[in-house]
Amino acid sequence: MIVTLHLVALALYAFATALALAPFMGFRPAPRALTIALPCGGAAVHVVAVSQLTLVGLGPALSMLALCLVLLQLASERLLRGSAVSFFAGPLATGLVGLAILSGLAPGAEVAAGRNAWFVLHVALSALGLALMALAFIAAALYLLQFRELKARRFGQVFQLFPPLERLDQLNRFALVAGFPALTLGVLLALGYGARFSGGLQVAKAQVVWGIFTWVVLGWAVWVRVVRHWAGRRAALASIAGFAAVILVYVALKLTQPGAERFL
Amino acid sequence: MGIKVLGVNHRTAPLDVRERFVHGPHEVPGALARVMAAGASGGVLLSTCNRTEFYLVADDEPALETVWSLLGERLAGAPPGGVREYGYIARDRDAVRHLYRVSSGLDSMILGESQIQGQVREAWEASRAQAGPVLHRLFQTALHVGSRVRTETGLGMGTASAASAGVAVAGKIFGDLAGRSALILGAGDMAELAATCLSNEGVQITLVANRTQERARAIAERLGGRAVSLEEAWPQFATTDIALCSTAAPHAVVTWERVGAVIGTRRGRPLCILDLAVPRDVDPAIAQLENVFLYDVDDLQTVAAQATARRRDEIPAAERIVEEETDLFWAWYGGLGVVPAIKELRARMDNLRTAELERALRQLSHLSPEDRARVEQFSQSLLNKFLHQPTVALKAAAEEGHGYGLLEALRRLFGMEPPA
Repeated sequence: MIVTLHLVALALYAFATALALAPFMGFRPAPRALTIALPCGGAAVHVVAVSQLTLVGLGPALSMLALCLVLLQLASERLLRGSAVSFFAGPLATGLVGLAILSGLAPGAEVAAGRNAWFVLHVALSALGLALMALAFIAAALYLLQFRELKARRFGQVFQLFPPLERLDQLNRFALVAGFPALTLGVLLALGYGARFSGGLQVAKAQVVWGIFTWVVLGWAVWVRVVRHWAGRRAALASIAGFAAVILVYVALKLTQPGAERFL
Repeated sequence: MGIKVLGVNHRTAPLDVRERFVHGPHEVPGALARVMAAGASGGVLLSTCNRTEFYLVADDEPALETVWSLLGERLAGAPPGGVREYGYIARDRDAVRHLYRVSSGLDSMILGESQIQGQVREAWEASRAQAGPVLHRLFQTALHVGSRVRTETGLGMGTASAASAGVAVAGKIFGDLAGRSALILGAGDMAELAATCLSNEGVQITLVANRTQERARAIAERLGGRAVSLEEAWPQFATTDIALCSTAAPHAVVTWERVGAVIGTRRGRPLCILDLAVPRDVDPAIAQLENVFLYDVDDLQTVAAQATARRRDEIPAAERIVEEETDLFWAWYGGLGVVPAIKELRARMDNLRTAELERALRQLSHLSPEDRARVEQFSQSLLNKFLHQPTVALKAAAEEGHGYGLLEALRRLFGMEPPA
């Protein structure tokens, strides 16, 4: 049942992504109602699927992350009055759900952890923080693409379909500033859970290393935006570099860890 | 009688000819009065910089001849009949379709432009006293068709002029333009148009003129902005969001030396420079600055041309609406008052028959009741036979869309009042 629901969500996300990308392949833009209804439908099915998951292991974590990303995509598109975020968020969420299904949605070894409120809250808040970081990355990427087109005086599909620079800059700032407290709480809950329920804090564990690293990177990105007042292109480049570093470190750690079904 | 349009437009006449046909609002009643005196029962004159068109309810001659004369008088030195080379006539259904295409922007120089809708309304209002019921209805529905086309199709989407394209490009940098500031260099027509476009978006305008300071002050006052001198303009490049340049200077006035250092103090805040002047007002080297977005008139025309291309895709949908509405109007026009007119005619004739029958029967008092009934039946039958052909002809004309002309004739022949 869980897999079926994930497959339905995957199909709806994939269809929505295809519609969002259609104008770049020379097709007419799909009606706005349809481009909103499809991911909304996918998210509704996905919520039902996630509510039945035990949030332990790689598959459930990726599924949770994809759901947060889609919900943020829908919220930010309402804010931006355009479907540009879906150009990146759509394929990313579709890929994450696909990976989640391939990794397996069963909880794996530590089933008990999935029933612990601290742990569930840790996963939800961390996924939200990461999704907001991904949203900041998407806004930054859209910003740089639109910036390049505007500087080069090209008035093609990017110019037409992407939101204005200032709005993308604001979205990037908002996503970083909102993501930091979410991830901070997620990391603190993980540390608390480790200390209280999982036999003490093991700082050398891969997920702790990666969690702290991600938190530091996000904190730095927020610091340069809020304290150093970075904006525009420089802030966009910083967001992209930070997100890329987080992904690279995760992949590196994942490759060195045993157990494909484990998050780390 | 039928609906006619006679006119000249941007397709049939060059600007130097068209501009001689332009009628100011004060000239409209006089021009229409002449046409009405020549037999037209209704007239509306639509006169813009791109078209001068007389919409009439009239027979072909002599009202149309009068319009040719009216236009010919404005072409001093043209050979007799020369004006006809620039003109066109559309009749009946084609005339209706023509006005619907005009009001929806399908016949405009800039496809889908919306200004024409207001011009059609103004023409109708200026000619209200002389329009008559048919043209009232025609212009009322033309405005409806224009609205439908703009609402139901994308014919009016995007930006189709360089000035509005400038606003669109600035919008892609800043998003909402309300509350932004713009520095306008120049006080010519283009600068004024662009300043108006920006002001309509809520942009605070500062106008700079290097020659006609008075004009700059007048435009700034109208737009709720202020006017400054050229020397005061350069420091404003540090704070303004948009700089729009449209001076008549023969060389670049916004140079690296003048504004390079000032723009450097913006701390990365974007500056959108729209250079609408030919030759260009802005040194292209300024575009090398990180957060400066510089666009010249070619760039903005590219944006406008793209909008026009997208609008072209919407032509079939717009034409369908025009055709649909033309059918509706023609059905109304064709059957205009035919049924009530037939009823009125029959009632009048029957009253006459009854009165004459009573008079005759008073003189034929010796007739038996059976014979009196026979005489009455005879009168009734005779009346029916007399009215049969006119009734059939009226109904047929109505179905073919020519009912209005016959009705006019009927009313005149039988002294019937036109409907209120």
